[in-house]
Order: sequence, then structure tokens, then C-alpha cells
Amino acid sequence: MALFPITGRFVGDFVPHLVAVDTDDTMDQVAEKVAVHSVGRRVARPAGFNGYEVLFNGELLAPGATLGSVMAGHEVLPLQWFDVRFRTGVPADA
Amino acid sequence: MLLNRDDWYETSRDLEWTLSYVDPEVAFPARWSGTDGIPADAWQAWDEPFRVSYRDYVRIQREKESGVKAVSNALVRAGIYEKLDPAHVAASHLHMGTTCMVEHMAVTMQSRFCRFAPTPKWRNLGVFGMLDETRHTQLDLRFSHDLLKADPRFDWAQKAFHTNEWGVLAVKNFFDDIMLNADCVEAALATSLTVEHGFTNIQFVALAADAMAAGDINWSNLLSSIQTDEARHAQQGFPTLQVLIEHDPERAQQALDVAFWRSTRLFQTLTGPAMDYYTPLEQRKMSFKEFMLEWIVNHHERILEDYGLKKPWYWDQFLHSLENGHHAMHIGTWFWRPTLFWKPNAGVSKDERAWLNEKYPTWEDNWGVLWDEIIENVNHDRMPQAFPETLPSLCNLTQLPLGSAMSRHDLAPHQLVYGGRLYSFDSAISQWCFEQDPERYAGHQTVVDRFIGGQIVPPDLGGGLQWMGLTPDVMGDDVYGYAWAKDYIAAAPAAPAAPVA
Repeated sequence: MALFPITGRFVGDFVPHLVAVDTDDTMDQVAEKVAVHSVGRRVARPAGFNGYEVLFNGELLAPGATLGSVMAGHEVLPLQWFDVRFRTGVPADA
Repeated sequence: MLLNRDDWYETSRDLEWTLSYVDPEVAFPARWSGTDGIPADAWQAWDEPFRVSYRDYVRIQREKESGVKAVSNALVRAGIYEKLDPAHVAASHLHMGTTCMVEHMAVTMQSRFCRFAPTPKWRNLGVFGMLDETRHTQLDLRFSHDLLKADPRFDWAQKAFHTNEWGVLAVKNFFDDIMLNADCVEAALATSLTVEHGFTNIQFVALAADAMAAGDINWSNLLSSIQTDEARHAQQGFPTLQVLIEHDPERAQQALDVAFWRSTRLFQTLTGPAMDYYTPLEQRKMSFKEFMLEWIVNHHERILEDYGLKKPWYWDQFLHSLENGHHAMHIGTWFWRPTLFWKPNAGVSKDERAWLNEKYPTWEDNWGVLWDEIIENVNHDRMPQAFPETLPSLCNLTQLPLGSAMSRHDLAPHQLVYGGRLYSFDSAISQWCFEQDPERYAGHQTVVDRFIGGQIVPPDLGGGLQWMGLTPDVMGDDVYGYAWAKDYIAAAPAAPAAPVA
């Protein structure tokens, strides 16, 4: 495990943030760490909130995948851009 | 019998030596003069319309100084400053902190013209430019010193450039680049022609008009007095462009295109929020966009056409940025307000919001929805949610936040790897500027780079504020104490009418 800085953009906000994540973080955890700087500050949480999802270069990442596993399959440099957005579709626990 | 000025003027301003004891390239190295690829005799055509002699200069400047000082003394004695709207006052704090030392940097740039410019006519005009900029620095320092007893923020006229405050670092980065690090030719195109002849109209004409309307006669008078000098020494740009066009038009086009975009981003930061948010609504003359279109866009288009240059490739994106960039910088600076040395006005009461929507038809969808969430938090006393907990990501060219050039709907990654390092940009245009001369910009560290590099200790907001030199007596907060947000509190339902007996 190691701290790793990313550029985290929450879709709908106007600015991405410097977010410190851990290589052991799952994408669900990464999403929470990015969203906390936008959702409920400048971006309203929608009715029927259904969690978040993470995209890298437009590719939707599996919620349980760790950042370390993503780094094994892609070149990920410090301050690389990750998108986080409200999850669309059927709730995970439905 | 004294000669008439016309009898001696040409000789005095065009007095040149033929160097014989030193190699001309050693006396005027191209890396300082910027004359690579331009034949030496081409500079004989360099000419400017302001026929100034030293005697005339001193007489006129003395009169200007007397006027400014007399007005200033009278107004300080009358305590006018204490009666000004606090939102407007923030604009003068912002101006003094971010501009005073730029004037001082300009002294160094003008002194480079005096020494290294490739023609004596230019070197002669550079002397007056150097004296102008010394005067501007002193005017700002005197104005700020007089008001220091009223507000410690005026200390930042001198202090700001000795701190790591993020906005000041962005301003300093730009002027280090185009004033201190540029050769004479590039500095004349980027600073004299683009910034001084074009963009300073926003700060020194538009803002001066707003300041006058707000009753800040002292500051307005100072700005107007400075502008009379700018109009003269900015003339160093046109004849330089003329020479460059004839011998290296590609270089001219690139230098102007880079300088125009970087200037746009700077003034979206310094002047946009002051004009569209800090100036009290009833005293606003024009919106920032309207002023830009009338004074900067038309002006720049005319210059490009007159000299046979093309509009920058990014022109449509620039016009889109005019709708958005300063709104982004405003909501960003307001939200990260503890990192400022002035108190910003949110400027989004219902009346102000109606004005913004009238001037900017896309404002509500691009910016209003973000303010709505802030307003909800303020009105429900969820203040921790109305403050940041981390830094915004920053552009490796402008040092400004990613996302602050366009709207939230346009936000997309602009990143490239150079020399093994990932660089991020606030727009495709800023990335293009970087790509024109990557060695020039690579290696510079943004505040984010310094933060993750361990230079800010402890690595949290408190550590960051301390590192930026922000003390509680100057730290930014909402200038009206959030009173404007009460506009949005729904009126309580009317009590039922009392039964009639």
C-alpha cells in the first residue's frame, strides 16, 4: 500500500481536485474520496442516489478493483486524471 | 538662441555609436535583444509617434504627480475610504497586492530596453518607460501606505510578491516569463503591445470608471494617471511588430497568440470578478465580457488585420472562455476564500443573479446550480461544507485551476507526458502554449506540485495557509458575512387569519 496523488474530477463540478488515494483503495473508495470534495459542496446529491462509479480514459472501472490493479494494466502517473460520477442503472443491492 | 525641438530631436533620440572596440554581438547579445534572424539595418525603420524629450517628460510628469497627490491628500483627510462599499474595497486590495510589484518588475523590463534594444530610438523611449514604471510602483506604495492604518491588507502591496499566496504565484509566473525572462522583441510584443496597449484598458479604464462610480475617487484618479503613461510607453510594441512581421512573421504570430491567451487568463482572474461581482450592482457600467469585446477583442482583431496576421487558431474557444472563465475564477476564489488576502463578495444575491443572467445567458446552467448548493449549505448552517478540504488541481502553464478557463460542461483532461513527468493544463489552448516551447515551462512547480513534493508542512489546509503567508488579520472571508444568502430563505408560511369573533 502506498499513498498516490490523483486529479479527481466529479462529473458536474467545475474543477477537479488534488486527491490523495491509496494503491489498495478499491474504486468505490477512490470514488468516495473524490466525491467528498464536490457532492454536497457544489454538486447536489440526486434523489435516488445509487453510489458512484469511476472512469479512467472513458473506461468504466470495476467497483472492487484496486488502484494497484488498475496501475498494473495502465500507465498511471502521479496526478493522472480520474472521473467519478453518480452511478447510473440498477442499484447494486436491488 | 535656443534651437527648436524639431531641430535637435531626431539627433538626440537616434544617437548611435559604431562599435569598434567590442563585437556588436557581445554588446547586444541576441538572447537579450531578440534580434535573431533580423538584419541590423532593419531597425532603422523602427519609429514611434510619441515625440518626447526629457525636458517635456519631466514637466508633464510633475504636473500629473501634483494632481494625483493633491486629490489623494484631500480625500484621505476627508476619510472617504471609510465610507466606501466593502465589496468595492476588496477590488483595491486585490489590485494593489497583485499589481504593485508587477509595476516594479516592469522597471527591470524597461531598463532592458534601455540597454539592449537594437535601436537607439527604442532605447530612448525605454528610459521614459523605466521612469514611468518607477512612478507607478511609488504611486501604488504611497496609496497603500496612506491606507495601511485603515486595513492591514494594504501591506500586501509590498508583501504579496514575497509570499507563496497561490494567486500571486500565478501572476508572478506570468510576468517573470514575459517581462523578466523575455528578450526585448518578445517583451515588446507580449508586454507592451498585448498587456499594456490592450489588456490594461480593463484594469486602468474600466475599473477606474467603476471605482469613480463607487465613490473611490482617489483610486480611480491613480488608475487614470497610470494609464496616461501606459498609452505612451506601450507604443514600443507596434514598431517592433512591424519589423518582425517583415522578417519573421511566424515568430510574431506565435508570440502574440501565446501572450494574448495568457493575458486573457490573467485578467479573467484579476479584473473579471472585480467588475462582475465586487462592484456594487447599481454602479456597474459594463459587464466584463462587454468591456472585453469592445476594448480588447475589437482592438486585437484590428491589430492582427493591420499587420497581416491571422486570428489565433483558438479564437472560437477564446470567445467561449469570455462567457465562462472569470465566473469560474470567481466561484473558485470565493470557495477557497481562506487562501485570499482580500474579502470577496459572493455577488449572487437575487438581484445580482438577475443581472448575471441578463449579461450571460448560460450563467444559470453553468454556474447558478453550483451556487445553489453553496447557498443551501450557508442557509442551513452547514458551513464546513461551504469550505474546501483540499486544493484544486492546477494548470502547469497558467498556474490557475484546471476547469477555470471554460464551463463545467467543457471540463476535460488536457494532460501530456514530457520528460517522464505528467503535465496538466486548464485548456487545449494552454497545452498548445506549452508545446510551443516546452523547455521554457517544464520544471516549474505549481502549488500542487510543491504540496505533493513535501514543501508544505504540515500537509493540510492549515499548513498551506501558513506556507502562503496568510495571517488571520488579512485572511479572506465573505465580505458581507453571508447576508446575501438570506435572499434565498423561503418566506415562512403566513399565519392563519385569526377567527372573527
